[in-house]
Amino acid sequence: MKSAEAYEHEQGWDFEKAAMPYVDSLYNTAYRMTRNSEDAEDLVQETYLKAYKYYDKFEEGTNFKAWLFKIMKNTFINNYRKKKLTPHKIDFSEIEESYERVIQKNAPDLIRDPETEIFQDMMDEDVKRALDTLPHDYKMVVLLADIEGFSYKEIAEILDCPVGTVMSRLYRGRKMLERTLLEYARKYGYIRGGEPAKMRSRKDEGKSGAKKKGGADVEAEEAPAGDEEDDLNLLASDTEEFEFELDDSSEEEEEFELE
Amino acid sequence: MVCDDVRRVVYFFLDDQLGERKLEDLRGHLKDCRNCDDRVAVHKRLRDFIRRRLHPLSAPGPLRSRIHEALRRSPA
Repeated sequence: MKSAEAYEHEQGWDFEKAAMPYVDSLYNTAYRMTRNSEDAEDLVQETYLKAYKYYDKFEEGTNFKAWLFKIMKNTFINNYRKKKLTPHKIDFSEIEESYERVIQKNAPDLIRDPETEIFQDMMDEDVKRALDTLPHDYKMVVLLADIEGFSYKEIAEILDCPVGTVMSRLYRGRKMLERTLLEYARKYGYIRGGEPAKMRSRKDEGKSGAKKKGGADVEAEEAPAGDEEDDLNLLASDTEEFEFELDDSSEEEEEFELE
Repeated sequence: MVCDDVRRVVYFFLDDQLGERKLEDLRGHLKDCRNCDDRVAVHKRLRDFIRRRLHPLSAPGPLRSRIHEALRRSPA
C-alpha cells in the first residue's frame, strides 16, 4: 500500500511527463495573448498548477493538449482580461472589399516566384503586429488553428462555442489578418495598389467607402465614423496597437457549407 | 460552383475540411477558372508565410524549472 506521499509523487510525475511537452505551445499562445513574456510565463505556470489540481477530472483518452489550452484560456479570461477593452464594431464587408481590391490588382505578383517566400523582406515584427490588430476572439481561433494546428472541433472545445462559430471566426480572422498584411506590403512597396486606403478622400470613395448597414448601401454623403475607418486602415502610427473587442451585435455568424 | 463560392470555401479547402462533393466542385471550377486558381495559390502562400513568421517561441529555460518546482510544492 503506497503512502500518500509516494502516491502524490507518482501522480505528480505522471502529470509532468504528460503535460510538460506542451510548455512551448502553451507559452507561445500565452505570449500572443498577453503580449509580454512576464505575463505569459505567469499564465503558463498558473495553467499548469490548475491542470495539476484538476488532473483527476481529465478524461483519459480525450485530447489532453486541448484540455490544457482550455484551462489556459479560462485562466486568461479570469485573470488577465480585467482591463476593459474597447467594444468595436467590425464592418467586415469593408474588409472583404478592400481585400478583394488588393488581390485583384496583385494576384499575378503575389504568386510569382513560388520558390521565394512571399513578402520575404517583411519583418516578423510586422506579422506579429498585424496579428495584434485582430479582435481577441478572431486572434484566438487563428492562433489555435494556424499555429497550434487544432481542428475546428478541438477549437470549439477549447473555446466552449459551436463549431460554426469557430469556422465563422476563422474565416473572418484569417481574412482580416491577410488583409492587414497586404496593406503593410502595399505600404512598403512590395505590391502595387495605388494610394494607401487611408489617403483616399471620402468624397472620392463614393459608395465603396460608405459603411453598409444591414446589407443596404448607404448614401455616399454619409461620412463613415472617422475612428472606425482609421482603425480599419491600420496604416496608423506604428507604435499604436488597437485592442479590439468584438461587439456582439456585429458578429452575424456566417454559415459555411462544406459538404 | 461560382467564383463567389470559391472565396467562401477556400480556407476550408486549404484546411482539408471540404466534403467529397464540394471538393470535386471546387477542383472542377479551378480547372476552368484561372482567376480562382490564382486566388487559391495566393491564400496558400499567405498562410505558409503567416505560419512561418509566427513560428512558435520556445518557453524560456527557467520557466520549465519554475513550473516543476511549483508542481512539486503544490498539494495534488
